[in-house]
Amino acid sequence: MHESYAIALTNAIASGTDEAKAVDALIATLKADGRLKLLPGIVRELKKIEAKKSVLAPAVEVAHKSDEADALKEAAALGITAAHAKVNHDLVSGWRATAKGKLIDRSGKRMLTDIYQNVVVGK
Amino acid sequence: MESIIKRIEAEIASFAPKGGSEETGIVRATGDGIAEIDGLDNAVMTEMVLFDPTFDRTLEEALKDPEPVYGLVLNLEEDGVRAAILGNGAKVYEGMLVRRLGRLLSIPVGDNMVGRVVNPLGEPVDGKGPIAGATFRPIEREAYGVIQRSPVNTPLHTGIKAIDAMVPIGRGQRELIIGDRGVGKTQIAIDTILNQKSEDPKTRPTCIYVAIGQKESKTAKIVAELEEKGAMEYTIVVTAPASSPAAFQFLAPFAGAAIGEHFMEAGKDALVIYDDLSKQAVAYRQLSLLLRRPPGREAYPGDIFYLHSRLLERAAKLSKELGGGSLTALPIIETQEGDVSAYIPTNVISITDGQIFLLADLFNKGMRPAIDVGISVSRVGSAAQTKAMKKVSGKIKLELAQFRELEAFMQFASDLDADTKKRIDGGRRMTEMLKQGRGEPLAFEIQAAVIFAAVNGYMDTFAPEDITSMEKKLRDFLTREGGDVLGAIREKKEIGEDTEKTLREILAQFVERQKA
Repeated sequence: MHESYAIALTNAIASGTDEAKAVDALIATLKADGRLKLLPGIVRELKKIEAKKSVLAPAVEVAHKSDEADALKEAAALGITAAHAKVNHDLVSGWRATAKGKLIDRSGKRMLTDIYQNVVVGK
Repeated sequence: MESIIKRIEAEIASFAPKGGSEETGIVRATGDGIAEIDGLDNAVMTEMVLFDPTFDRTLEEALKDPEPVYGLVLNLEEDGVRAAILGNGAKVYEGMLVRRLGRLLSIPVGDNMVGRVVNPLGEPVDGKGPIAGATFRPIEREAYGVIQRSPVNTPLHTGIKAIDAMVPIGRGQRELIIGDRGVGKTQIAIDTILNQKSEDPKTRPTCIYVAIGQKESKTAKIVAELEEKGAMEYTIVVTAPASSPAAFQFLAPFAGAAIGEHFMEAGKDALVIYDDLSKQAVAYRQLSLLLRRPPGREAYPGDIFYLHSRLLERAAKLSKELGGGSLTALPIIETQEGDVSAYIPTNVISITDGQIFLLADLFNKGMRPAIDVGISVSRVGSAAQTKAMKKVSGKIKLELAQFRELEAFMQFASDLDADTKKRIDGGRRMTEMLKQGRGEPLAFEIQAAVIFAAVNGYMDTFAPEDITSMEKKLRDFLTREGGDVLGAIREKKEIGEDTEKTLREILAQFVERQKA
């Protein structure tokens, strides 16, 4: 129930409905139906949707700050556009980018783990 | 050390980094062997996914635990997928990256698996090292259609007199073994495997024993018995013990079928035993409830019938054009208090080509195997029965059924006429004759000769209580004195006029010697 209201609200806003209007309409409807106590649950579901969006949002990581410009350019060429790149020293070298369930991993860490998997685990 | 260096150098030299993009998801929630995953928009049913622990860890941490954890996509939902974790669920955590592998769940299969014990993913668990030369085969596939099949026409001898005579099984058939716990269901399956030892190695079926939800000690005991009697030479054991995740127990029979199909498609015969499908149904119910699928009767999901029908339909006798191989299935179902009208038993009864009912009452009376001949049937097996066996076993089933009725009546009647008494004595003798110890399967020619003796009155001179020992003596006598007759029955698969004459002479000799 909470999830359905949250999804409906998100979809309405995404399709162009004014945010304030949509929220006011929702509260008014809940009040009229005597279901105002659903509000905290709806907020919780909205936070979940937001968290999911941020997880699936475009992100580029680089091993060294100096690689940022090249990484952003290469990622954009492959369809992942981000304004900035985050520095992640764990990558060892290179870069990786994620967006909406798509991963492009050109990092040294991935190459090393792949080699390790092939040699040690044999998979 | 040198070889290690060379191996790593070769790996580095041949390494090509994956340049393309991969489809990934993020674990939203996990628990009870199920992971809810955001993303993976293009994932398909029963696709394999990889839970990647290396993504958000340092290189050092990632290399500490290199064993990958796989998952199986079982629910496709609006905003993500739900997958069963095939392995240690404790290693999967919220926020973990999941990668699509782009292939349906497949397991390695090959001739080198013979003699090995593997898990439902085809990984060896017997400590004998990796299995070489295997090719990958999806564990779920559509069964062969009508045109690709040929009728069941070759017998699969179980070595058990009562079954081979009255409930014959053909290669490519599906015969259910059903009964309460502890009445000898598994023993029939194991004896059937052991009996294949006496078959010609060229036509001997490869046996696959699938242990589902069993105690590991029981499976170890079975493997030890098979090894001791030389049956592992042609047997593969797939084990998903009670301690393994529900997903493994659900997948084990499909893995067994996939291995069996490898042999069938190579034009060979294979026998697969699912021990037992009741436990698989329970595991599937558990998975389905955790996947939030709507529960139906007895809380089983709506597709529980389809689960078993699509598995058992894979048993087939292929047409000559496709090599003529076969896959025979012996599913086992455990009943509660002999109730065969429960949900899962009725489902599997309706899917299979016959059933062997084992009764606890008969078992407790000392009747081994405890087969209820009245309600045990084989719908297609008689077409595959050898002429020899058909000739000797024609009337046994009817006579035994009549005997059981008379036996019940006898408890109330004080005076019996001569004819009834004769029938009852005959029935008792036949019942004793069909008794057989565990792990003692008999070659079909010996079975035919022994049953011939019983139905033709050669055992009538002995008291019913002496029949068990006399039958053993007769077998020894036949092996010693009637080698040629047994050889002729084995070769021609029938009892011709000459063979019958000689057999009668040998049997008369046996009776004379026992009287003396």
